[in-house]
Amino acid sequence: MTVEDVKRVDKGSALMLANEAVVRGALEADVKVVAFYPGSPTSEILDTFGEVLDHFKDYKMQIAANEKVALETVAGASMAGQRSFTSMKSVGMNVASDSMYSIAYTGLNAGCVCLIADDPYAHSSQSEQDGRYFGMTAYVPMIEPCTAQEALDMTKWAFEISEKHKTLVIIRTTTRVNHQRGMVNLEKLERTPFKKNKWKDVKGQYFTVGSVARAHKAKLLEKSAAIQSDFEKTNFNFIVPGDGNVGILTAGVNFLHAKEAMQNLEIKLPIFKLGTLFPLPEKKISEYLKSLSTLIVIEELTPYLETQIAAIAKSVNPSLNIIGKKSGHFSEMLEYNVSIVEKVLAEVLDKKPSIDYDAVLSKAEGLKDILPERPPIFCPGCPHRGTLWSFRQALQQLRIRDDIVFNNDIGCYSMAFLPPNEFSDSMLAMGASLGISAGMEMSLDDKVIAMVGDSTLYHAALPGIVNLIHHNSNVTLFVLDNSVTAMTGQQFNPNSPFDAGGQPARKINMEKLFEALGADSITIIDPYETRDCIGPIKEAIEADGFNVIISRRECALYGDRLKKQAGEKIIPSENVKDTCRGIYACVKEFYCPAITIDEADGKMIIQQDLCDGCLECRQVCPVDAPQHMEVGK
Amino acid sequence: MTETGKTFNIMFAGVGGQGLMLLSAILGKAAVDTGLRVMTGEQHGLSQRQGSIYVHFRIGDPISPLIPYGRADMMIAMEASEALRYIEYLKEDGVVIMSNRIMPSVTETERVVLDKQKKTKYLTVEQIVERLKQVTKNVVLLDSLALAIQAGNERTENSVLIGATAACKDFPIPAEEVRKAVLALVPPKTVDANSKAFDLGRDAGGACLES
Repeated sequence: MTVEDVKRVDKGSALMLANEAVVRGALEADVKVVAFYPGSPTSEILDTFGEVLDHFKDYKMQIAANEKVALETVAGASMAGQRSFTSMKSVGMNVASDSMYSIAYTGLNAGCVCLIADDPYAHSSQSEQDGRYFGMTAYVPMIEPCTAQEALDMTKWAFEISEKHKTLVIIRTTTRVNHQRGMVNLEKLERTPFKKNKWKDVKGQYFTVGSVARAHKAKLLEKSAAIQSDFEKTNFNFIVPGDGNVGILTAGVNFLHAKEAMQNLEIKLPIFKLGTLFPLPEKKISEYLKSLSTLIVIEELTPYLETQIAAIAKSVNPSLNIIGKKSGHFSEMLEYNVSIVEKVLAEVLDKKPSIDYDAVLSKAEGLKDILPERPPIFCPGCPHRGTLWSFRQALQQLRIRDDIVFNNDIGCYSMAFLPPNEFSDSMLAMGASLGISAGMEMSLDDKVIAMVGDSTLYHAALPGIVNLIHHNSNVTLFVLDNSVTAMTGQQFNPNSPFDAGGQPARKINMEKLFEALGADSITIIDPYETRDCIGPIKEAIEADGFNVIISRRECALYGDRLKKQAGEKIIPSENVKDTCRGIYACVKEFYCPAITIDEADGKMIIQQDLCDGCLECRQVCPVDAPQHMEVGK
Repeated sequence: MTETGKTFNIMFAGVGGQGLMLLSAILGKAAVDTGLRVMTGEQHGLSQRQGSIYVHFRIGDPISPLIPYGRADMMIAMEASEALRYIEYLKEDGVVIMSNRIMPSVTETERVVLDKQKKTKYLTVEQIVERLKQVTKNVVLLDSLALAIQAGNERTENSVLIGATAACKDFPIPAEEVRKAVLALVPPKTVDANSKAFDLGRDAGGACLES
């Protein structure tokens, strides 16, 4: 229903996920080119743009090979006079930042906006990276919304700033904003048809090095000052008046936590809500600080605002008492919520929190002591489960479990570090397994094994692979080819014959790619033929040189969707109790969530509504107990 | 209608793949169609099935997307053990609408099979309810699957739970609005079964809360 709201032409209000509101905002700003690499918590932006692409037919969209390519794509479109947009997760900007710093120098033409989403608590990321410093260090304006409504409004505003100052604009969010659903006011949607430009009509020069770079830098500083002056005036930086001389300064979702905490405590402190993270509206902040004796700075992760505010306070109000991370009241770790903020406000004002949150939490913890944990796990039917089982069997048969080093990469298969596999000597960043393997291969007397998925292969692993082959390295590489970028919601990638919105695309042939690069062997296995995978894996591990195993079977969730579209049924399996001897290989060695045990007879039960019918478990079972149910039963 | 400044908080809990997001969309539509404001804090991200998932669902005058601990008026759990997992959010004597379905995690199954003495047993619904009762007396335990089958489609468990929710007297959305939203968002072929499931859930929930 919300996609319908994204498409709506008339004014009105709608309940929208902030990520959808961002899309609506960009569409209201008449965006013409969008490109993305998926990454949580931003993936729904890509998915929503993909879903409405065919409806609008007036913007171009690509799923890019990685975030750097996505940013360059939208920068190129901006240079060519088209309004453009991309979004990426926090660590995606690490990949894109090489170009981002140069784009800041050269400037751009048509409105160009990039959203980056930080992930305090590392819900779905490898670190709690604080992306706010990108704006400051690149001199790129950065703004931060707190609600779905602001996400829409600020996206539109970002295009205006970008176009006025000929600069990239970064919208910074956190997970709790991206995945917040709220009421949003929609403006009338007025789109114009897509029209290609001629370079002579729009052209500029986007070049930076040496003396040109120095000239750009001088202009960049002037540009920043001009933007700062605009930010002093914007309504997105505002003060909610309150009582007394204790005040709050905050941004993003913490503004909401703070307001609710104050409501609970029945207090009304003034709040400075920042909408611009770079440049900061220093004059406006200075005026605010002058009126206070104590300032409470509420921000997750690093003391980005606090250190800058302290510097401002030093000249305008040196006696200001700043409550924040340096004072020990707030943590630099994890994400905040109403109770965390409320407790600090209560402490500073010498009040009691509205609820004894610590007592609630400790009671809950006691009640939960019987609760088994529910660790993340491969889905029923996941091909990775079979690949990793065969790999373990191969190592066991070769008796080399303790003579290998396993460098894992980013994807669903990152979960290989959990039982029953407990692989992963390293797992750092997209494509990092190859570079790490190069160093280990030179330094260790062990077999070096790396593992990447198809999306990671094309995202950032290729240079590392070229490097290993070029240096005659002895490394075995597993490529888990499941057709899509599975973990973020099964988006297409260069391994798919489709692009965003199902547009036709050219599938890159990875066998030919490895062959052309000079891999010593390329072996394709099917993880659903689980037992048959063991032999080829053993050979590839034992062989010298750069040997590739492509484990090919589509992601189970993607496969289910294809079956549904084709009108095919998923046929679940059942356990034959006469055959089952209670060996429990399916439990101990396989960890499929569809498998439980009948406590009455100790035999295995397959949960029919969870089972995907892959029958990998039949191959893991020494007596072949599981089998497909009769069709129609 | 909720008065200004008053917010009705619901914590949804379940296991990935159970349709929690549809449940949230249905109640969201029902609330908006009734003229109420809604705000949610949802858990998306890693798309694997079988993980623990939740939605903070707030109706009325919410400010933060997250319900503070001890302030959920209601919890709707599509899987029994997940009700206990988020118990810190429930206010004292808040209402728990829960399915009696338990989906054991693989690590729990492993502990059961590894115990040669056969003393390790799966966690039971009775154990969970006993713990929940230490926070609230208002626990509505539904055999949602049986009621769904009775309604004619085993995939209508969500509608059973939503029906029971609508039976709760403090629930701010009129039951008929909720039913309309259910029927608008479920697959057209399943409208009759979902309507029946909704009624069965509402009757079961109503009976439970009166006793």
